[in-house]
Amino acid sequence: MAVAVRGSRTSLRVNRVASGPVGRALAGRPIRMLGRVVVMVIILLWSLFPIYWALNVSFSTLSGADSSPAHYFPSPLVSTSYRSVLGIGGAGNGVSGQLGRSLLNSIIESGGAMIVTVVIAIFAAYAFARLQFRFKRVIFGSVLATMLLPAYATLIPLYRIMASLSLVNTYLAVILVYVSGFLPLSIWILYNYFNTIPRELEEAAFVDGATPVGALLRIMIPVAMPGIAAAAIIAFLLGWAQFLFPLILTTDLSTQPVTVIVAALDQQRVVPFTLLMACGAIAAAVPGVLALVLNRYIIQGVTAGSIK
Amino acid sequence: MTAVTAHPARRGRMFGGALPYILLSPLVVFIGALSFVPTVDTTVEAFFRVSPLNPPTQFTGLGNFRALFASPAVTTAWVNTAVYVVIGVVLSVVLGTVIALALRQRFRFRGIVLALVILPWALPAVVEAVVWSWIYDPTFGVMNSALHSAHLIGGYHVWLGLDRWLTIGLIEVVQVWQITPLSAIVILAALQSVPLDLYEAARVDGAGPVQAFWRISLPMIRPALAVCTVEALILSLNIFDQVYILNGIAPLGSSVMLQTYLTTFQNLNFGGGYALSLLMTVATAVLSMAALALLYRQPGAE
Repeated sequence: MAVAVRGSRTSLRVNRVASGPVGRALAGRPIRMLGRVVVMVIILLWSLFPIYWALNVSFSTLSGADSSPAHYFPSPLVSTSYRSVLGIGGAGNGVSGQLGRSLLNSIIESGGAMIVTVVIAIFAAYAFARLQFRFKRVIFGSVLATMLLPAYATLIPLYRIMASLSLVNTYLAVILVYVSGFLPLSIWILYNYFNTIPRELEEAAFVDGATPVGALLRIMIPVAMPGIAAAAIIAFLLGWAQFLFPLILTTDLSTQPVTVIVAALDQQRVVPFTLLMACGAIAAAVPGVLALVLNRYIIQGVTAGSIK
Repeated sequence: MTAVTAHPARRGRMFGGALPYILLSPLVVFIGALSFVPTVDTTVEAFFRVSPLNPPTQFTGLGNFRALFASPAVTTAWVNTAVYVVIGVVLSVVLGTVIALALRQRFRFRGIVLALVILPWALPAVVEAVVWSWIYDPTFGVMNSALHSAHLIGGYHVWLGLDRWLTIGLIEVVQVWQITPLSAIVILAALQSVPLDLYEAARVDGAGPVQAFWRISLPMIRPALAVCTVEALILSLNIFDQVYILNGIAPLGSSVMLQTYLTTFQNLNFGGGYALSLLMTVATAVLSMAALALLYRQPGAE
């Protein structure tokens, strides 16, 4: 009798544990863990394999990369492609000069566009988020509507405007076009961020005699730094990735960004593909490292307002 | 004390309400001169014969459009672009949802996985297309090698440039690979904002995970799905980089954007380029509005 009672009590306890959330997680753990690992491996393979493949080829010798079946790991692993395209060790070829200059152009164009975009967007987003004025809804709506404007709408006119101002093949033309394209998204990100900041912060500053501009500079901008960082990083990445607009707005190495140069090297079909992959890896390294290190700002930026 | 409190009011009056307009003026100049003026210009010039090497510019009415519809290369590009759009929108939104569902629950290393999943979106599309062109390459490509090792193909294939639909499909894979992370992140954020007690209530009512997805998750993430759909729609209507690299200028896999580029900047037929641009701008607006009207419904607001 005593045994039976003890037995039933034990089974009751086991039942209760097994039906609770902890128990279920424990019971299903190995299978569920395995399932999750498999799903993650598939997602990561899909996301990363092409990137891995480019790195694999770029660290291979030409004969190593040309083998059949393919080597999934460089054998032998060499850095000759990188030395060659970076012009290290005197093995001079035209590629290193083009790559170096185009990287500098990319930095100037995307960096310049990022700075101008973010500065203009901060002022505009502050006005939209905090100030009352006539035509606010109309202006805000029209600016955001240009996010739906495809490149088609502006491609040819922008080229002709820049040509008529003799700005084709200048940094200025590229930066102006980028800024006009990136502003709506930056404003949207910052507008949403400013709206999460309590108004009491500025009101305290107003009581102390601050002007709206003073409140913006001394209160809003420091507090909104994560939002500003998100807008800035996204503008930089968008600028770095541009291809069609620089293809028509730049005509030689003095302004062509790295995307245009990598495409041109690919089209020539003379550069060995191990070197080409090294060029691609270097062109992708800047946005790649930014995305890995600052991904939380990117996530915060691209989801701004989308879930409200 | 009174002087201090009077300050902001007086300053406010001093600006005379001009401050918002001062803050907005750079924006208005940029968007006005470089977005609105060009759009109006495209709309007007589409009805003119514009050829910089062969002036003068003349009004031709629908002449540019008639010439476009008579061109087989343009017709091919229209049909191709429609296929690019359908594959791009459907695959990126479905895959984005699957990835978001897989990443919804917290687990160790989720932050790292998320950072890695975003990578294809952050890298330049044209560089990615160059990488993929060597993956698809008939002699050096890993695709042939891998499929051959798995005994799925007997010999090495030429993947691009022979069969129209295969070429389009493989090019769109490259674009889907790039834009899916964006959908995944937006949908993931939406999924995480769904109150957990809704799922708890559904579980009590006996709903399984599949039912919970259709009855709770899906209605709640509809706005996010709408955003992703419109985003993928615009990106695939504009597809250029991947086509330029993987298809070249051949009509086979050509897109309308490639055709616009060739018409305008290779053939210097600006009028034709304008007409194509206007048609695509209108198409983008109509399709985006339709997608938003169909999908963008706030949860609960039936």
